[in-house]
Amino acid sequence: MPEVQSQVREITFAEAVREALAEEMRRDPRVFIMGEDVAEAGTPFKVLSGLVEEFGTSRVVDTPISEAGFTGVGVGAAMTGLRPVVDIMFGDFITLTMDQMVNQAAKVHYMSGGKWKVPMVMRTTLGAARRSAAQHSQSLHAWFSHVPGLKVVMPSTPYDAKGLLKTAIRDDNPVIFFEDKMSYKLKGPVPSEEYTIPLGVADIKREGSDITLVGTSSMVQLALEAAALLEEADVSAEVVDPRTTWPLDEHTLIESVKKTSRAIVMDEGYGRYGVAAELAATIAEGAFHYLDGPVQRMGAMHVPIPFSPPLEDATLPTANMIFEAAMKLCGRS
Amino acid sequence: MAISVVMPALELTQETGKLVSWRKKEGEAVVKGETLLEVETDKAVVEVEALANGFLAGVKAQEGDVIPVGRTIAWIVEKGEAPPEESSREIPAASAPAKIARQNAANPGASASESSSKAKISPKARRLASELNVNLASIRGSGPGGEILASDIESAAKSAASLAASPTDHENIEKLTAVGRLMAERTAQSWTTVPHFFLVREVDAGALNDAREKLNAVAGTSASAKITHTDLLIAIVSRILPHHPRMNASYTPEGIRLHAEVNMAVAIAVNDGVIAAVIPNANAASIAEIATQRRDLADRAKAGKSRTQELAGATFTISNLGMIQIDSFTAIIPPPQAGILAVGAIADRVVAIAGKPTVRSMMTLTLSCDHRVVDGAHGARFLDDLAKAIAQPQRHLG
Repeated sequence: MPEVQSQVREITFAEAVREALAEEMRRDPRVFIMGEDVAEAGTPFKVLSGLVEEFGTSRVVDTPISEAGFTGVGVGAAMTGLRPVVDIMFGDFITLTMDQMVNQAAKVHYMSGGKWKVPMVMRTTLGAARRSAAQHSQSLHAWFSHVPGLKVVMPSTPYDAKGLLKTAIRDDNPVIFFEDKMSYKLKGPVPSEEYTIPLGVADIKREGSDITLVGTSSMVQLALEAAALLEEADVSAEVVDPRTTWPLDEHTLIESVKKTSRAIVMDEGYGRYGVAAELAATIAEGAFHYLDGPVQRMGAMHVPIPFSPPLEDATLPTANMIFEAAMKLCGRS
Repeated sequence: MAISVVMPALELTQETGKLVSWRKKEGEAVVKGETLLEVETDKAVVEVEALANGFLAGVKAQEGDVIPVGRTIAWIVEKGEAPPEESSREIPAASAPAKIARQNAANPGASASESSSKAKISPKARRLASELNVNLASIRGSGPGGEILASDIESAAKSAASLAASPTDHENIEKLTAVGRLMAERTAQSWTTVPHFFLVREVDAGALNDAREKLNAVAGTSASAKITHTDLLIAIVSRILPHHPRMNASYTPEGIRLHAEVNMAVAIAVNDGVIAAVIPNANAASIAEIATQRRDLADRAKAGKSRTQELAGATFTISNLGMIQIDSFTAIIPPPQAGILAVGAIADRVVAIAGKPTVRSMMTLTLSCDHRVVDGAHGARFLDDLAKAIAQPQRHLG
């Protein structure tokens, strides 16, 4: 993050997303929003409140409950010259959009020999702990990260959310933008002047020398909490946020672990076969001869997310779990 | 039927052996009992005999290789028979399928790297070890389950660097041999863990000189077979020791172990340090037997051919530097022994006898004692008995 002025205002993650959308819609008349409850309702998370008042219902379009249908409309609109921002309320519902995204949006540019492009953004959510049960709590970003032709963005702070969303909207490729439901109220410094953040550039959220904690999205704040605990135990943790799972800034990940020799990768997707596994493998390949211990993964427990609050909480990593694992890896437990 | 030749375990705690030389070449005929190869352990270079008649085949270890004990390094086969192909698996030699001999058995370093790959070691530690030239076999890991971590390599490299010679001179490092390394480790361990104290006694060696002349005159043999002062001292000390059980003992956390046998070690200077070869039951051996054994042990030690069993089981040690004109010195105890006697040169000195200055052949004995086993009075009484015995050697050389 560049140095911020002392008077930089603090806004919430949700406000940062809304600002990015509003700014890009003012800047480019081709940009429009489409999804369930996006207009008057402003989404159940109130992220889009006020946008329909400024841009009207022709640019903030409420759709029927038909994710496969309106995602297909978005792909077609993008191919024919608009820049849609498709809103999928819960990330769990991306399963319905898979054919449009994976077999159409991701492929059209390649299969048309570059004649077509799909400059669309799909905004959706991830994250548990909202007591929303198994069908509204998943973090399925690994699904899209797996597919060539799609870009996947996972901001962790208001600053990153605004800068990355503006870049995503201006990108000529399909970009899926995952927002952590529990982070919408997270406050952070966001400059009022114009800025963007390139896709594929990781951010070192905290510098350290003994262990690298790689976190995505919701896990970044936990990693920072764990790093503060570790500092009290005299362990210096570096927190690296890749910010995008594709394109992936392998260089920053590998160089950080070359420096620290140890790594724990945290991602709220399921631990098995997930983003954490991919990041861990990237580190193991690139920093093998610098590793002083195995690269560890932490993610959601391999179960459907329970509705029961205590059980739901038990499926997620905590700062304390990260702290314990890091201490062990550093030979300090 | 092919018989495997394995790196032998010559000592209880031995993990690897260094192949010093093959005495037979690939394909050469060997006779059971013939020396087949030489192996260097921590303590000595040992000759290993062939266990069967046949022909040496399938040699997989090169001279200089460090090999885990128990690993097959070659085969003795019948004429025309090919050595079994795969020997690293635990297949009894009898049932191992005989396949075509591997022509390219030469795989330098393979055995050494295989052995170190079994120790758990982090990738970073492995890279650092090769960059900093740290021998993994010498490292004890501090990680989970004894895994060797980068910090272990770094501290090993640091301590090696601090031990190295003056900063202007670090090209000039003489590599430690097995004997040299063992000497360094054992003396440092003894000096830092055994509470030493020293008792000094001047003794009149006139009678000892007379006894030696008399014995050598009787023997009438060549100069090389003559009995030395060291031989006489071995005989006398080993006959006095049974009267002082605490001097022929070892400290253990459970208590003092009193040894029934007197196994007298004698320190022998060799090329790269000092080793102590043992004359077992020296108290029961005649002076002639002692002399013969001592000479034999010294010759073999100097040639680097000591047998492991010759270096084990000592209960007391004599170290004589008299022949290099040392008046007296203090010696470091070789654990688990409780003492070592340091013998200085015999020289004519003026001493007062009955109030008159008299010239006598004098010798200074310095006894190092482990204070956990003996106290000053114990040691002094032993040294006093020894001095009396040296004054009347004939009584003890029957």
